[in-house]
Amino acid sequence: MVYGLTAALLTAGCGVHESSTVSIGFVAPLTGDQAPYGEDMRNGAQLAVEQANARGEVIPGYRLALYALDDQRSPTQAVAAAKKLVADPDVVAVVGNLNSSCTMPASAVYHEARLLQISPVSSNPQISRQGFDTFYRTCATDDLQGPAAALFAVKDLKARRIFILDDMTTYGRGLANEFEQKARKLGAEVLGHEGITQGDKEFAPLLTKVKALKPDLLYFAGMFPEGALLIKQRADIGMGGLFLGGDGIFDPVLIDLATPQAAEGVYLTTIGSDIRAVPSAREFLHAYEERFGPVGAYSAYAYEATSIAIEAIRRASKKDRAAVLAAMKTITDYPGIFGSQNFDRNGDTLIKDIGIFTVKAGRFSFIKTATWD
Amino acid sequence: MGLTPLQLFLQQLANGATLGAIYALIALGYSMIYGVVQLINFAHGEIFVVGAYLALSVALLLAPFALPWWAVLAACGLGAMAGCALLGLLIERTAYRPLRRAPRLNALITAIGLSFVLQNALMLAYGATDRMVPPLIPSVRWNLGGVSVTLIQAVIWASSAGLMGLLQAIVMHTKLGTAMRATAQDATACRLLGIPVDRVIAVTFAIGSALAAFGGILYSLYYGSINFHDGYLTGLKAFTAAVLGGIGNIPGAMVGGLILGLLEGLGAGYLSAQWKNAFAFIVLVVMLLFKPRGLLGERVAERA
Repeated sequence: MVYGLTAALLTAGCGVHESSTVSIGFVAPLTGDQAPYGEDMRNGAQLAVEQANARGEVIPGYRLALYALDDQRSPTQAVAAAKKLVADPDVVAVVGNLNSSCTMPASAVYHEARLLQISPVSSNPQISRQGFDTFYRTCATDDLQGPAAALFAVKDLKARRIFILDDMTTYGRGLANEFEQKARKLGAEVLGHEGITQGDKEFAPLLTKVKALKPDLLYFAGMFPEGALLIKQRADIGMGGLFLGGDGIFDPVLIDLATPQAAEGVYLTTIGSDIRAVPSAREFLHAYEERFGPVGAYSAYAYEATSIAIEAIRRASKKDRAAVLAAMKTITDYPGIFGSQNFDRNGDTLIKDIGIFTVKAGRFSFIKTATWD
Repeated sequence: MGLTPLQLFLQQLANGATLGAIYALIALGYSMIYGVVQLINFAHGEIFVVGAYLALSVALLLAPFALPWWAVLAACGLGAMAGCALLGLLIERTAYRPLRRAPRLNALITAIGLSFVLQNALMLAYGATDRMVPPLIPSVRWNLGGVSVTLIQAVIWASSAGLMGLLQAIVMHTKLGTAMRATAQDATACRLLGIPVDRVIAVTFAIGSALAAFGGILYSLYYGSINFHDGYLTGLKAFTAAVLGGIGNIPGAMVGGLILGLLEGLGAGYLSAQWKNAFAFIVLVVMLLFKPRGLLGERVAERA
């Protein structure tokens, strides 16, 4: 009791002085089925913060820290995490979230609080069209990814009969609709477009129905836990044809969960080109692998977004949200790992590469950079 | 290769029966326990997940020895079933037996609390992310007249049918089973006759938990992964299956599980995948309007 009281007094005492920490908030799913993605992203963000601290104080007199929170891929938790970050006076910028369905509602909270948010990988185009000057992102959007996937499916893979599945999230439904529009425009026959529920595991009945329609290609816009089960159960019922997915299934865990045999020959698009082929990313890859092991699908984007947030804080040179936001608007030609970063007036990066990969011998293998018209 | 409507229907039946067999295994525990103590054991869904995790642990322990797959599977099955039977005994002894004479709601709240405790213990022990389950059963697929069946489906059907047959034999033809049925009918009278009611109840918990553990192994092998919160929805579905078949009734739980699996499969296959849960529950509601005691629930005296 006495100890507790003393501790409480001490904590209260500390609150009187201003903290000597300046924080970057980070939000992604760190528990639950999408945790592998979130962990990879947190490692990327962590690396950016550690490197900045090693180079010296970003703001004189302050230590830079990463404040990571878990959104469990739930929009409700994303808003709760956003409010928590907004309430913390040390936080001057936020990197997050992963899922567009989380980034969307959280972006309104950050906008209201005039707090800079950089989303590494949320690709739904609507997020940046809300008119929030606090929102930036470092990936290409689904109004490019969807058409690029459709073009690849119809022109390169010669798919004529296509069935579309999505996970009914902001990301999945948005991407699937973009894909469907373009596929129809290119003359492919869309046999159907259905939704699945995130967290569901039983897709055999649905796939059996799709199998009977004999599509050349099954397109899936969603995340890897459901994607892996679709790929696995598709093989279990002996369904033929091709499988094409969006960037949400771009995680090595997909291949383990689906089993390498079933995943062989699966195609997917990514919101950026092959990180290993970008010369400016070499140093990052080396540092990351030394610190954390194999680089994840989204580690580089989280690193890039965090580095840009750090640059904004450095330019602001004071622990002040408005100053950091103002400084962010002055950033042009930032030498990022994906190349020279510039942002349009919606906050979207001008580096818009869509990559196409396939699973070959149990690994993702880069095919080409795609076009969308 | 095209599918005729009949082949399609048979394939959907096979899909639904696989899930249904797993639901049935879990539903049996709900039903048996309700039969002897009139308690809905909400911790049962978590025991199912504990079973899957225990099997995973055994599989990982045995991985370096390069044993044949069926030997590993048998070891996982026995390990997980024994572990969960012990857990069931422990739960009954420490959480439910002290409340045997308390109002029934107390035990129900305890069950819900236990469910949280187990779920969080699993999260602490195995982590909050999905755990991959190594494919213990080789990936073999047969084409039976256009209907695709995998080895794992065959294992699920055969083993669950075998276990249910064994359970039925125990309940109907052994002294223990007779005691279980007698306890279900009137525990007080059983005590007066010298039947060790507490021991019968404990054994019922052990058997129910072992069946759930086996369901958990099949589930994790079929889907290739397990998560600490997988017991929630699956447990709820199995509970629904038990109610559908008539809670307290053993054949009812089997039939209820199978029907629920088929309803979900056919609902997703012929209507819409995103509405399959709604479809299954609407059927449950309609069925309960006409048969409030469940499909096989009339024979109240036979519950056990």
